[in-house]
Amino acid sequence: MFKNYLKITWRNLLKNKSFTIINIAGLAVGMASAALILFWVQNEASYDQFHEKKDRLYQMYNRSKIEGEIWAWGNTPKPMMAALKQNYPQVEQAARILRANFLFTIGDKHLTLPGSFTDPDFLTMFSFPLIHGNPKTALNDMKSIVLTEKTAIKLFGNTNALGKTVKIDSVDYFTVSGVMKDLPNNTRFGFEYLMTWKYWEKTNGGVDKNWGNNSVATYVVLRPGVTETYFDKQVKNITRSQSEVKDIDVFAHPASKWRLYSKFENGQIVGGRITTIKLFSIIAVFILLIACINFMNLSTARSEKRAKEVGIRKVVGAGKGSLIAQFMGESVMIALLAGIVALIIVYIFLPPFNTLTEKQLFIPFASPVFWLIVVTFILFTGVLSGSYPALYLSSFAPVKVLKGTFKAANAVFSPRKILVVTQFTFAIVLIISTIIVREQLDYAQNRDVGYKKNNLAYTFMQGNIEKNYQLIRNELLTSGAASAVTKTSAPMTEGWSDSWGFSWQGKDPNTKIDFNMFNVDGDFSKTMNLKIIDGRDIDIKNYPSDSSAILINQASLKLMKFKNPIGQTVMNGDRKLTIVGVVKDFILQSPYEPVKQMIIQGPSAWFNVIHYKLNEKNTTAENLKLAEAVFKKYNSEYPFEYHFVDEEYNKKFADEQRVGTLASLFAGLTIFISCLGLFGLATYMAQNRIKEIGVRKVLGASVLGVTTMLSKDFLKLVGIAFLVATPIAWYSMEHWLQTYSYRVNISVWVFAIAAFVTTLLSIVTVSFQAVKAALANPVKSLRSE
Amino acid sequence: MIKITELEKFYRTEEVETIALNKLSMHVDTGEFVAIMGPSGCGKSTLLNILGMLDDPDEGSYVFNGIEVAHFNERKRADLRKHNIGFVFQSFNLIDELTVFENVELPLIYTGVSASERVKRVEEVLDKMQIMHRRNHYPQQLSGGQQQRVAIARAVVNKPKLILADEPTGNLDSSNGNDVMELLTDLNEQGTTIIMVTHSEHDARYSHRIIRLLDGQTVMENIMV
Ligand SMILES: Nc1ncnc2c1ncn2[C@@H]1O[C@H](COP(=O)(O)OP(=O)(O)OP(=O)(O)O)[C@@H](O)[C@H]1O
Ligand SMILES: [Mg+2]
Repeated sequence: MFKNYLKITWRNLLKNKSFTIINIAGLAVGMASAALILFWVQNEASYDQFHEKKDRLYQMYNRSKIEGEIWAWGNTPKPMMAALKQNYPQVEQAARILRANFLFTIGDKHLTLPGSFTDPDFLTMFSFPLIHGNPKTALNDMKSIVLTEKTAIKLFGNTNALGKTVKIDSVDYFTVSGVMKDLPNNTRFGFEYLMTWKYWEKTNGGVDKNWGNNSVATYVVLRPGVTETYFDKQVKNITRSQSEVKDIDVFAHPASKWRLYSKFENGQIVGGRITTIKLFSIIAVFILLIACINFMNLSTARSEKRAKEVGIRKVVGAGKGSLIAQFMGESVMIALLAGIVALIIVYIFLPPFNTLTEKQLFIPFASPVFWLIVVTFILFTGVLSGSYPALYLSSFAPVKVLKGTFKAANAVFSPRKILVVTQFTFAIVLIISTIIVREQLDYAQNRDVGYKKNNLAYTFMQGNIEKNYQLIRNELLTSGAASAVTKTSAPMTEGWSDSWGFSWQGKDPNTKIDFNMFNVDGDFSKTMNLKIIDGRDIDIKNYPSDSSAILINQASLKLMKFKNPIGQTVMNGDRKLTIVGVVKDFILQSPYEPVKQMIIQGPSAWFNVIHYKLNEKNTTAENLKLAEAVFKKYNSEYPFEYHFVDEEYNKKFADEQRVGTLASLFAGLTIFISCLGLFGLATYMAQNRIKEIGVRKVLGASVLGVTTMLSKDFLKLVGIAFLVATPIAWYSMEHWLQTYSYRVNISVWVFAIAAFVTTLLSIVTVSFQAVKAALANPVKSLRSE
Repeated sequence: MIKITELEKFYRTEEVETIALNKLSMHVDTGEFVAIMGPSGCGKSTLLNILGMLDDPDEGSYVFNGIEVAHFNERKRADLRKHNIGFVFQSFNLIDELTVFENVELPLIYTGVSASERVKRVEEVLDKMQIMHRRNHYPQQLSGGQQQRVAIARAVVNKPKLILADEPTGNLDSSNGNDVMELLTDLNEQGTTIIMVTHSEHDARYSHRIIRLLDGQTVMENIMV
């Protein structure tokens, strides 16, 4: 019996080539899209889930009330680690981790690489296996370093680096005490080497006992059997009990939630990346569903052709069950063929998809689990898409069918209508969403940043740059590379520091108000082209007292409510600061949020970055060449590295850009699959009505008239889909936009464009078949019956 | 073999109710060859479909081989049908995607006959119907007469006790039609009960008995001598 089915399936596939191709293409594209999304989802869900101790692994978090709102964050004070280990018996292991960026020198090879400082426990808390060295002791000696394979190869040309020496930052020599397997693609960590905490202490003034400075991530492994709730209760008051800081609660964030559930509102987890994961999972399911709907539609549209076969089979003894099995078998076979094509598509498109999503996904060809999933996936798709046609076709009453009274395919009957409407609803929702995401992106990108980004570059102050700052500054100016230079605490596009330690006259002493902090040298407004609204820029040369001068932005002024801000005093703890100027609000952090209140301090403080406005009279290449010479002269050990502010600023849109691109991609695919289905339906419709068309033409119908008649039914369905899609899209995009304070209003135009695009595409799709049918010679079509 | 009593069948559409069979009673004995005749629309096909258990009556009783089947569900009917009844239609009703051999093999597949046995039996009937040489052809490649012979081969391959034929010669010329009638007569002589609907007095003469229907009722029975 099985062989018989297989035979007839195979012949059916060959006989109806266009049907087969449309079905397999649609299903394959649907399966491939779903597979790509699922790969991505799987990768996201597997983040840091490979650690053997993952069920006992936590990151320590702070929770506190700021400006009336409860915030939670994962940066903790440096002394917390030791306190946890000493005073909390629940804690088995603990380690801090802090980013590092050092210049490595081997012979005359110089390389700056990102790494981390951490405590010795780290290597046995996390499952990052060492291929050389002992994880228990590798980070015990102050000047030992653990390299990843990749780094070892970069530095030494091979991974056999144990015991070798590297020079770091041209000051200290380190011994390689371990070589680590490269980090997998699904971990939050991104270091290329690990250095000891002891070394950090040596270079940063000893053991840091400050509980008020939250600057490291602290991880713990709890003893077996200790629950999260219990530990949270114990550890809640750790900061209070150890220090003067009285308003911070501490809790533990489990490894199972790091990646997907790290968004806190009011101190509680409200989700995080899981939202995106869910969204794209839904998209994956829907794309697959749409592809299955195509199959259902095309199969049932062919029902008139298949009806006779069903009738005869029943007459000669087929039960309903065996017919269902037959049709299911057919769809599973098509799904199998589509699955093979899909696998090829995924194989080809995984690299660009990786670029797009910034991942390193791969097809695990060698894994039996993978093949098991593939088979399940194919069976699922086959059964899903075959279920409706199988039930529908197998229920034909043989008497009717064989008598010829059966005429289902002429009318586009209702279930099929519903399926087409479903498909197009989803496609239209995606189109509308794509347009809105793009609009929002455009809107935010065109927002005035408040300063001039073009021709503005910066370099991190490494090695001798800070020491030689004045010389470098002068030479950048005199060489003609730059027209203005300033040093700052952070790049113009990043908020590195904030503080709620400020008070001023009229401030309610009971509220904590958090300010963004920024430190500048002179010429800040000139370098950035930033407008000073009131007062003047900080200028230590002409005003020696400016070491305690500050600038505030408009947002701060609004908050402080000074009538005459210039000359007013702001206290930072017991340090007295004087406002000398008010600057126009500029975007330091998120382009989607209102500009936050900010205090810009004068030259007494902390500097990390040198900003320079490139000379507009030269080309960028010339300027950079001149600048490189200056930096090389005063900081010869380090390679000249620079960043452009406008490029860095654009990175703020990377997430939205990615969402936008993915949304367009999947919207495009969905509409493609839907149109493919529509095309198939139109083909069958034209075939089924060929005789009717012939008769009409003989009686005098025009080509246009016939085309319109044939296309009308389908356009009606697309119209209904549009009506259903509009509120869904509006509602969900309104919801999405709520996450941005600075956002576009959804305009009617978006819907008009979506309607136009969809209608145009479906007209093109349907009318191709309709015109073909209308143009056919009636004599021919009438004779063929 | 067949005994129906006061059988009724209605067709309801929105406005009208058609009585296709009106308290019809009749019986057919094992081994008989019965012809059913009557004007178009009098309910012949309806009767045949009910006898073949493709359709169920609204009222009345239908006893097949001593079993009351009027209210059997689809599954039970299909089961009884596939072991006992063969069909021949006016329009042949062969599956276009299957070859002659495969078409004839189909009923054996559904009754679960082993593959080797199937080959044997299909070849046997194809031989008898003299279309062995066409075994690998598709229906579209055959003439009407040949197609009907394939259809008869398919109807008898399972060795049914009863063959129901609805205007089996309706689409054939007289020579091909006679061939088909000869085949049916042969089968009847070997013991198969045959009930045939026909418009042709000529064909009816091959039968033992003619049942004449008018408006869903028996009007007359002729015994052929
Ligand atoms: N599916 C149906 N719906 C409504 N009425 C039907 C249906 N099938 C048959 N009829 C009616 O039932 C009556 C009997 O039909 P039937 O097909 O049995 O006639 P028949 O004797 O076989 O005619 P013919 O010799 O033309 O084949 C007719 O009046 C017909 O219109
Ligand atoms: Mg009839």
